[in-house]
Amino acid sequence: MNVTSSPGNIGALPPKRAHNSTWKDVAIANGSVVSIALFFIVVCVVFSLITNSFLTTPNLLNIVRQSAPLLIVAAAMTFVITAGGIDLSVGSVLALTATLSAVLLQAGLPWPLVVIAMLALGAAVGALQGFFIAYERIPAFIVTLAGLSVIRGVALLITGGYSIPVEPTSFFVNIGRAWFLGVPVPALLALVVLIIAYLAFNRTPFGRYVTGIGANAEAVRRAGVDTRFMMLFVYILSGMAAAVAGIILAARLGSGSSNAGQGFELDVIAAVVLGGTSLFGGRGTIIGTVLGALTVAVIGNGLILAHMSPFLTPIVTGTIILVAIWLNFRLFKGATRSR
Amino acid sequence: MMSDGETYRVRMTGISKRYGPIQTLDDVSLNLKPGEVLGLVGDNGAGKSTLSKVLSGAVIPDSGSIEIDGKVVSFSSPADARAARVEMVYQDLSLCDTVDVAGNLFLGREPRRRVLGIPFLDNRRMHDETREMLDRLGIVIADTRLKVENLSGGQRQSIAIGRAASFDPSVLIMDEPTAALAVAEVEAVLDLIRAVSARGVSVILITHRLQDLFLVCDRIQVMYEGRNVAERKIGDTSIEEVVNLIVGRKFVARSARASRDEAVQP
Repeated sequence: MNVTSSPGNIGALPPKRAHNSTWKDVAIANGSVVSIALFFIVVCVVFSLITNSFLTTPNLLNIVRQSAPLLIVAAAMTFVITAGGIDLSVGSVLALTATLSAVLLQAGLPWPLVVIAMLALGAAVGALQGFFIAYERIPAFIVTLAGLSVIRGVALLITGGYSIPVEPTSFFVNIGRAWFLGVPVPALLALVVLIIAYLAFNRTPFGRYVTGIGANAEAVRRAGVDTRFMMLFVYILSGMAAAVAGIILAARLGSGSSNAGQGFELDVIAAVVLGGTSLFGGRGTIIGTVLGALTVAVIGNGLILAHMSPFLTPIVTGTIILVAIWLNFRLFKGATRSR
Repeated sequence: MMSDGETYRVRMTGISKRYGPIQTLDDVSLNLKPGEVLGLVGDNGAGKSTLSKVLSGAVIPDSGSIEIDGKVVSFSSPADARAARVEMVYQDLSLCDTVDVAGNLFLGREPRRRVLGIPFLDNRRMHDETREMLDRLGIVIADTRLKVENLSGGQRQSIAIGRAASFDPSVLIMDEPTAALAVAEVEAVLDLIRAVSARGVSVILITHRLQDLFLVCDRIQVMYEGRNVAERKIGDTSIEEVVNLIVGRKFVARSARASRDEAVQP
């Protein structure tokens, strides 16, 4: 699988050879997506065979309903990681927005205002972290690790550690529980976010700059792009996505818990990396992220249906991530190598 | 000095720059005519990179003046130089490996198509214009959708030069464009330099590969320890003479500047 073309072919590239490298390029570009798609199918087939209830419409809809927060945040995280960053604070932002939305609803605020306030809060948290990362040049890992701790702490402080109930008659709970055209609303929200993310990532200058910054930030800066603002902006996206996830979770569970989303950031990063996005930046795929997130969700669901101990889930998930990335790394060297 | 009354594209006079105790540039001049290819040579630390950065706006000189097409200019950033149509191809090429050929050529100025007010990439136009641009400059790349990381060193260099040329510059500065290239690739890059200068672009070529100078340059300017030491028309000199000028030995003997003798000893 060697893709480097031999030197000296600049002036006389034979068409045959050029065709080959194009084909290989496409295979490498999509190799990670192809491998995660195969993995996804294998996991689905295994659970369909060993359980009776996996491959039923209610269960499949249940999976997409439950994985909506993961899908939404993973889509935003794909931008962050492709730009060469990381956001460890998304689980904490999810917990904070879930609890605060329950608190604000209890205080009598109308639900649309609560939703807008939570989105603004997510954006503000993202902007603050993005400022330290993009303008003050502190490594994203450190900034968002601090954010993970501080934001979770704020959520715990507000609630005193208790979960705050949401009035079941409030329209708010529909965001997490309603069905529309036979599909759960959270799944529809996730679908909308994913379509927007796909278009933004692949079809807009913004998506191009995110990839470029991950590959060679200095080149993008020299081309006259405001790379620092772009870096800040991807953290605004991940903060807002985490807020959406928090709202959906609070609405679905009918309560806001400051302990929600423990380890959620790791599931999100696992989904993104499993999908073939490079942790080194410069390479990302939204389709891969969707498949990665669904794989993580299906494993969790399938193990429960197979009456296995739920404590097996993290073990199996972790093992599959390592094996999948390892295969990916071996079979499609281009997909995960660093620059 | 060449002073035959013609209008110069670039006229740099009395440029000096000091970094702490080191006088990097000491009263240096540089003249360039339209469409001319000037080879700028000198040993490491001779000041050729700094001089080119002064012209590209990346370094602000302590003193001296720059005229472009007879007008005095003062650059405080690379953006100013670009506005005056001076482009520089950096030695590290400034390419994004995981972005395709067209994406790199149009980085930062992608053709856009608005749908519902949202700017989308106009991919078809971008690839069509890239193809046109590559053909015009004689750069052979099979597919504009190839990622740059899959190209050879010479192809990457060509993309970087093509990118600079596409800004329609009047002056193009190239820092070591042929370093670390295979023989056939050097030829292709030199062809590209000829093609660019044939379109009226003045080129400043910084290189350690002296044989390249004799293939593309009209004139050679030699720098030594921050000074201009010699200027030769390409027909009036030889590779041996240029080597001696760069190293400085014969130069010391020829001019009577004995005070520099100690510094010159290898």
